[in-house]
Amino acid sequence: MNIYNREVKNRLKSAIIWSVSIFLLIVFFMAFYTGFAADETIWEMVLENYPQELLQAMGMTGVNMATVIGYFTMCMLFAQICLAVQASQYGFSSLSEEERDMTADFLLTKPIKRSKVFFSKLFAALTGLIITNAMVWATTFLCLRFFTGDHEYDPAMFVKMLSVLILFQLFFLGVGMVISVSVKKIKSALSYSMGLAFGMYIISTVGSIVGENTLAYITPFKYFELNTLILEGSFDPVMIIICAAVVVVSLTVGYILYNKRNIRTAS
Amino acid sequence: MNIVLRELRASIKSLLIWGGSMTLLIVIWMAEFSAFANNDSMAKLLESVPQGMLEAFGFESFSLSTLTGFMGLVFVYVTLILCIHAILKGNSIIAKEERDKTVEFTLVLPIKRSKIIFAKLIAAALNCILLISYMFGVTMALSQQYLPEENFVKFFVLLIVGTFILQMIFLSIGILLGCAMKQYKKSGYIGASLIIILYIMSVFTDLNDKLDFLKYITPFKYFAPANIKNDLALDWTYVIISLAIIAISLTLGFITYKKRDLYI
Amino acid sequence: MSIIEITKLTKFYGKNRGIEDVSLSVNEGEIFGFIGPNGAGKSTTIRLMLSLIYPTSGSATIFGKDCIKFGHEIRNDIGYLPSEVFYYDKMKVKDLLKYSASFYKGNHNKRIKELADIMELDLNRKIDELSYGNKKKVGIVQGLLHQPKLIMLDEPTSGLDPLMQHKFFDLILEENKKGATVFFSSHILGEVQKLCNRVAIIRDGHIVKIEDIKTLRKDTYKKVYVRTEKNAGDAAKFPGVSNLEIIDGEIRFLYKGDINDLLGLVAKNQVIDINIEEPTLEEVFMHYYQ
Repeated sequence: MNIYNREVKNRLKSAIIWSVSIFLLIVFFMAFYTGFAADETIWEMVLENYPQELLQAMGMTGVNMATVIGYFTMCMLFAQICLAVQASQYGFSSLSEEERDMTADFLLTKPIKRSKVFFSKLFAALTGLIITNAMVWATTFLCLRFFTGDHEYDPAMFVKMLSVLILFQLFFLGVGMVISVSVKKIKSALSYSMGLAFGMYIISTVGSIVGENTLAYITPFKYFELNTLILEGSFDPVMIIICAAVVVVSLTVGYILYNKRNIRTAS
Repeated sequence: MNIVLRELRASIKSLLIWGGSMTLLIVIWMAEFSAFANNDSMAKLLESVPQGMLEAFGFESFSLSTLTGFMGLVFVYVTLILCIHAILKGNSIIAKEERDKTVEFTLVLPIKRSKIIFAKLIAAALNCILLISYMFGVTMALSQQYLPEENFVKFFVLLIVGTFILQMIFLSIGILLGCAMKQYKKSGYIGASLIIILYIMSVFTDLNDKLDFLKYITPFKYFAPANIKNDLALDWTYVIISLAIIAISLTLGFITYKKRDLYI
Repeated sequence: MSIIEITKLTKFYGKNRGIEDVSLSVNEGEIFGFIGPNGAGKSTTIRLMLSLIYPTSGSATIFGKDCIKFGHEIRNDIGYLPSEVFYYDKMKVKDLLKYSASFYKGNHNKRIKELADIMELDLNRKIDELSYGNKKKVGIVQGLLHQPKLIMLDEPTSGLDPLMQHKFFDLILEENKKGATVFFSSHILGEVQKLCNRVAIIRDGHIVKIEDIKTLRKDTYKKVYVRTEKNAGDAAKFPGVSNLEIIDGEIRFLYKGDINDLLGLVAKNQVIDINIEEPTLEEVFMHYYQ
């Protein structure tokens, strides 16, 4: 418990900053919603005339942007970018912290098993992600309450959209962790995390533009593509399973590699 | 001079990783383009979409069926990656002395601090130039198979120049952050946050007239492909703003680094 | 009873040899010295014992239990002081010591205060504001606060001023009297000579010698200084004599062999003055390096 406590204390400040930033992001977006309502007729006309291929080429624009949920999907995409960077950062920095800051001689010579260290760090990272996640939920429903005016929306859809976020974050956390224990040395966790998060985002966006479907299986931005939710009523279960599988495999491999790792120390 | 060489040698591995990843992306996209090349039905589809809608996503004058149109759409993402690289590089090349604890070596050499920063600036800029030249080369090579139309080359060169200016903007901001901030971890985070905020800003600035002013704030809008395609030139207002940002950031960076205590 | 038992321990980093076929044992209550040139493998051996890294082959047991399988158990009774001390930056000294103590069973607050007083360590300061030597003091308190049965020291006094070094050694000796075993790796041979009972010399990853300090100094060679009017011819040819020099009219050489033979040689020659010394550990050490 002591390791967990210390790790959480460390993560708390960052989790709060991320939570507040995403809060501001969502509020800022949603505050403009009623201003867009006027364009509803245009959106409707566009949707009627859309051929299937173009819907794909435009990616997330395939939905009616005038509806609450349609407009919200754009907002959610940006929140997803932030959540991805946060989770990647936690993933890459958790297990490599001792080797980067040279505190391995202190922590890893204590009478504890490596696996205890692994799980303490994992749960501390999860705590941070859950806090931010909770903030996203709270902010969303707050905005729905205050910024939607007279427009109708289906809360169940929002619940579905938000409930996969934690799995989304776990993908980045897991992949980040497993990569961090596979490489010899990480000098700057930030470049790796930006690379992973934005890399996944770009693969999904360009994938949408060009209609490339195979790449969709790699990037979590595609696993939980908001369009699919809106057009089909739920996320693609195959994608969800793939994501869960990636999380499980990466955390397991990360666990094994961390236990076997020859730790680099100061001396 | 030796500092420049040393820094370059140290960046080889990182350049290979960044360059390699981007090559992979470009190769895949260019392969995808074959599906769109000269596909007229696509062009017609886009004509039916209302102007406001297209503007929101920068699609106004683009048709996916021409090389120019296609490049205009996808190159934004290459720009994004290059800018992330630039700001992280700018920050880390300064901050690494304190991070790797080599401060007591590098900053005790018989050279002025400003010379050291200058050398690092050159090395980092060369890094950026190498990456963008490489991207230029790869993309041009891959486009040959599609027999690019005449204006394409001019368009693409301008796109590259615009991207290069953006790289320099973010590089200078990164250097300023690295120089001014005592805690190297914090400066990295601020740089990353800045990129995220400015990128998001760039996407929704077109959605609403009230938000139009944002296009002066976010560099990602300075050399938007749409504008370049229409005018076949870079907008001078933005070039001046860019140069101003670069000059101010670098000057502030030099000044603050000279004066501050180095954290061991 | 042997506390540490290392058998043919080998560690290769890819093709690079860390240590090879290292075997040694340390008995309860000993102060065991571990010396060797830079890059010999001292730190590697210690890290293997603490299961920070894993061996290529061979085994190490502490308190009779395998270092890797039972590492988390045996480390309850091990106090480790690394040569370079780094801690989490944002903590205060007392917070770090409390955090460290929380890993070991029991309440160690009193002991922390005692140790901090002896080492003159201010518990309220932030760790990143401390000088290197003061950080080392934190390391000492952190390593000893749980009254470990085995104390592992790696260059413990580097960074400490002479007064603190003295206090530190008194601490170690006191713990040793209470029954703690000490494993002491150092370059400062004067210290090793003063404190240790036995010493192992490691070089190029291999153990070169394990011996009692006294025996080591005795059995290596003797330093002989002779003043005589005769020339050194006889000495030069005498078996067991090496490093013959003549400085200021004094014949100096190293002698390894039966002392009676040496006395016989000396008696044959008219000698004005003679001085026979045991080498310092430093000289023994250098001898094994040549």
